[in-house]
Amino acid sequence: MENAPISKYTVSFGLSVSLSSVINALLVVVKEKSPAVLAAMQKLTGHQWVTHSAIVLILFGFFGWLFARVNRGQGLPMSVNRLIGTIMAGVVTGGVIIVGFYLIGD
Amino acid sequence: MAHVLFGVGCIIVTVWLFVDVLHAQERNLTRIRRVSWAAAIFMWLAFVIGGGWYVVSYPVDKAIILKGPWPFAHNYFMETKEHLVIMLLVLASYLPIAASNNLAASRDARRLVLWVAATVVLLALLVEGHGAIIAMGVKVALLAKPH
Repeated sequence: MENAPISKYTVSFGLSVSLSSVINALLVVVKEKSPAVLAAMQKLTGHQWVTHSAIVLILFGFFGWLFARVNRGQGLPMSVNRLIGTIMAGVVTGGVIIVGFYLIGD
Repeated sequence: MAHVLFGVGCIIVTVWLFVDVLHAQERNLTRIRRVSWAAAIFMWLAFVIGGGWYVVSYPVDKAIILKGPWPFAHNYFMETKEHLVIMLLVLASYLPIAASNNLAASRDARRLVLWVAATVVLLALLVEGHGAIIAMGVKVALLAKPH
């Protein structure tokens, strides 16, 4: 049994890592470009970065839970190769958006 | 700077996890899972302590950096670091989930943990490097001050 299946939570939270990474980066662009959003985030917890972190971490937990519930509670059917590709794509995209934004966009 | 210590701890433990997963067998599965939890816990400690320091104490450093010859130490390196580290925390938190599978019986599950662990190490090293440049930004600003 050299290729036992992986758990539905491994897939759901893997997809959530990818999605959260991209949302994290997009939230950077939105708050830096919109003073109203930045002020609202500042007001919510007293510091915009704390609000930003909380949003991303809550979404990570929520999407991980949600993706495990689909398909009548069996989770999303996905090959490990595709899961690895999706996680890496999300992390690289998120990283490039953040680095690119502060390098040239800000 | 306890957050740097825990960040380095996360890197070391994740390298350990990577090597252990390369040699995953039934007899080291428990250790692999414990090490994956250790990596996540170290990263959470680094994040909470570093975050507390960033919110409470960093504004003084920021003002010094921005008046010095290396304003990019804040404008680029700190701004980038404070957001990359959130991604790093999410990835490190995923390690125990990925390592909960039967790695001895699944080549695919091993590959997944190896990819995530390698990404955690590379991202953590990048963040540590950013931290070093930020600290240098304070230092050069203080050195440049007229006496």
